[in-house]
Amino acid sequence: MSALLEVQGLHTYIGQYHILQGVDLTVPEGSVTVLLGRNGAGKTTTLRSILGLWKPQRGRIRFDGRDIQGLQTHAIARLGIGYVPEHRAIFRQLTVEENLKVAERSKGDLQARQAFLFKLFPDLQKQYHWPAGQLSGGQQQMLAIARALVPENRLLLIDEPSEGLAPVIIEQLMEALRSLSASTTVLLVEQNFRVASLLAERYTIIEDGRSVHQGRMEDLLREQDLIQRYLGAA
Amino acid sequence: MSGPMADSRRRGLWSPGALLAGLALLAAPFLVAGFLGEGATFRMAAAAMICAEGYTPFVGAALGTWLLLGMAVLGARRVAGANGPLTALRNHGARLWILYLLLITPFLLAWATDSSACIRGKAFFWQSVFIETFILAILAASYNLMFGFSGVLSFGHAAFFGLGAYGVGLLMKHAGMDLVPAMVITIVASAVLGLMVSGIALRVHGLYFAIFTLAMAEILHLLAANRIFVDLTGAEDGFTFAVPDWINAASNRMTFYYLSLGLLILTFAVIYRLIYSPSGRVLAAVRDNEQRAQMLGFNTFTYKTLAIVLAGALGTMAGILRGLLNKGASPNVLGVGFTVDPLLMTIIGGTGTFDGPIVGAFLLRLAEQLLRDTVVSLGPWQVNIGERWALLLGVLFIASVLIFPKGIIGSLRFRSKLSASREDETM
Amino acid sequence: MLPRYRRSLLISLAFLGGLAALDLILFPAGQVGVILLSGLYQGMLFFLVAAGLSIVFGLLDVLNMAQGSFFMLGAYLGFAVYGALPEGTPVTWRFLAALVAATVGGGLLGALVERSLIRPLYARPIFQIVLTLGLATVANEIVRAIYGPAGLIPITPPAALDTTISVLGGRFETYRLFIIGMGATLMALTLLLLHRTRLGIIIRAGVEDREMVEALGVPIGRVFTLTFALGCAIAALGGITAAPYIGAYPAMGDAFLLNAIIVVVLGGMSSFEGTAVASILVGLARASAEQVSLEYLGSPLLATVSILLIMILVLLVRPSGLFGSETS
Repeated sequence: MSALLEVQGLHTYIGQYHILQGVDLTVPEGSVTVLLGRNGAGKTTTLRSILGLWKPQRGRIRFDGRDIQGLQTHAIARLGIGYVPEHRAIFRQLTVEENLKVAERSKGDLQARQAFLFKLFPDLQKQYHWPAGQLSGGQQQMLAIARALVPENRLLLIDEPSEGLAPVIIEQLMEALRSLSASTTVLLVEQNFRVASLLAERYTIIEDGRSVHQGRMEDLLREQDLIQRYLGAA
Repeated sequence: MSGPMADSRRRGLWSPGALLAGLALLAAPFLVAGFLGEGATFRMAAAAMICAEGYTPFVGAALGTWLLLGMAVLGARRVAGANGPLTALRNHGARLWILYLLLITPFLLAWATDSSACIRGKAFFWQSVFIETFILAILAASYNLMFGFSGVLSFGHAAFFGLGAYGVGLLMKHAGMDLVPAMVITIVASAVLGLMVSGIALRVHGLYFAIFTLAMAEILHLLAANRIFVDLTGAEDGFTFAVPDWINAASNRMTFYYLSLGLLILTFAVIYRLIYSPSGRVLAAVRDNEQRAQMLGFNTFTYKTLAIVLAGALGTMAGILRGLLNKGASPNVLGVGFTVDPLLMTIIGGTGTFDGPIVGAFLLRLAEQLLRDTVVSLGPWQVNIGERWALLLGVLFIASVLIFPKGIIGSLRFRSKLSASREDETM
Repeated sequence: MLPRYRRSLLISLAFLGGLAALDLILFPAGQVGVILLSGLYQGMLFFLVAAGLSIVFGLLDVLNMAQGSFFMLGAYLGFAVYGALPEGTPVTWRFLAALVAATVGGGLLGALVERSLIRPLYARPIFQIVLTLGLATVANEIVRAIYGPAGLIPITPPAALDTTISVLGGRFETYRLFIIGMGATLMALTLLLLHRTRLGIIIRAGVEDREMVEALGVPIGRVFTLTFALGCAIAALGGITAAPYIGAYPAMGDAFLLNAIIVVVLGGMSSFEGTAVASILVGLARASAEQVSLEYLGSPLLATVSILLIMILVLLVRPSGLFGSETS
């Protein structure tokens, strides 16, 4: 497996705050990699830095063998990166269909993918013409993921998909994500360690803005003290 | 700003010693001139003396004193850790020089234009230009207290300015009041208006607040210009009123000059004092991030109210001066121009600096006067600077927003900070 | 209309009904007809300035204080083209050419302004507003420098638009009906654009979360420029539409800007539907207040003061306006 995304020595400031102080990260093609770490460790900032939503001051980001740091956000996205932000960030006033339309990169994208999306998230078909703000939390999350799937992206950045959702919904969502991961590379941020451990093959732990540990998920599961130390969870 | 430094600055500006030094500074040229002026008595005020006996000995004495002051300032700079007047000299050296220059400006003007400082003529005219500049500087400094130091954007500062001119005029003309009570009541009214405005700032934030203030000023403007109140306000033409002789700018212009200069100094001192006080530090925190200031446990509303009421009162004071200077008021003092002008002066001079708005006011008003009749050829066009002043200002304004967002003072200070840090590195 | 607007619409209708009832009590029917038409006419003019204000504010977070200047520039540009066409060109062609030239010119100028002046300041939003204030001064002064402080002699519209018709016994100029029609058409076209085209969907998405739109791969900078240009084009078209009736003079945009700001606040700053409804409400309220004020005070004082007070009230009670979402 070659690396689809490679991040080296990433430093990002937000205002005067030095949030990322050296993040290294490798996402092999076809894998699901999860960013682990406590609240405020810099996981979301890492995703946003990759997309150029925060401009990293130093470091290198290679996507598919090409340096992308410093590119404009839309240009980065157009290389084939889909983004599912935390708190979902769907367009509440727009209908489900319009939400998906915004993500089209060329005419007909949506039409080509419609059947696939409806199969993945049947709820969206039923509520295709509803304003997205009226969907349930789980449906909104599905919409946010579907939106990232409208163009054929090669990498999905998914931030906290299970946040604030009921366990039943989380199960549904995991089902969908697992079927997705068969065809797409995913970089995931997930606080729910159980969800993370079931979905991901690889992990990177971020602590105080630095990547401190990475490896294969199955190895991590054997190292309880590591989990305890960095994640405070068992 | 670190504590001890701020403290010493405050002491520097407010200690009795500093005040005494200031008074001595004010009196010095008069004293010296008094001795040189062939038996002129101590009681004789400088203005009267100059008017009666000419300005030459005075200017000489003044320049001499200025030299002494300069040496004192330089000396004070070398004495580290000094308290009292020396600290004031050290921290406000450049400001004191300029202040001193302004103190003798009426005489310098008379000297330079070879005309009298006391009767109609060139020097007399230029005094009024300076008076207008002082008024605008007070207005701009008060605007900066809200916009620059507290981060409150207002499009309605003209309401306070106009309130000053209309308030004092209407009270003196129609209520038959004396000057001082009329001024006091006007200032009180402005404080009430300021409280109302800040009450609204509690509910309405940011841009919405700016729009609200725009509406408020516009309502006052419409009321002032309306024919319904023509007997009171003279509607669109405005009205005139009589002022006491001692402050009548037509006869005692020099008194007016020193009065408005004094009020400008007062404005500066009040704002300086506020910003270097603990409240001022909270204001800065509110400006930078209001939510964070709230989370730190500050009732940010109280501090904003303080800034708005104080800025309003100072703006009203500028308006009062304007009314007294013109012995009248017309609706344009409530117009959007008197909101845009201080904004312009603040931005060009340096937002959130003490000297910026004042420098902006001086630059713009004096430049306007100096360039009034200048004609420049731009290719095929003859451009009369006076006629196109507003256009030039607009362009300058846009350029400074785009290119020099820190304004003149901010950019200068930034540069000196840079060179200072470089010195630190080499040491 | 979607259910979430039902309450806003009901409030608006109640307001309208109240106004009409008040007019009917105070004035004879014929006069009421003229008042309502004249309110509609004013409202449409407010809309033409407010439309751009609202879309641009919604998407770019810039309150364009120079929007009134584009209204004014549209009028001058149209007049210039009208006058520059060769002798013998029929009035109708001249008039249409003036409309087109103003729209296109306003749009191009808007695009230029966004690219060169607004764009560098997206990180400093307050300074954007401050800058547009300076821009308004510059635009007014440039026009003053070229054409002088006095207004221009109004151009003649086509004959059919240059007459009066009888409305419920009162006389009403056909040109004002044309302005109403123009406003209504543009209102409908803009609504269609926002809801039926890809650009419109992106604009509406950007109003909610422009960062997310960009993260989906949309070159948002280009959308900003287009939107700003669109707003300016509508305002410029509004200016040339109004000018044959109200004349062209340097300060003509200022009064409309104030009214447009009132409209936009009332409608809910970033809601285009709100702006459309509120512009009609404000127009009618203003026309009624003007009539009442003239009748009882002998001065149009209340016309503007009353709507300013309404706006202040809205700011205090419901800062999100009639159609704005509560959560912003």
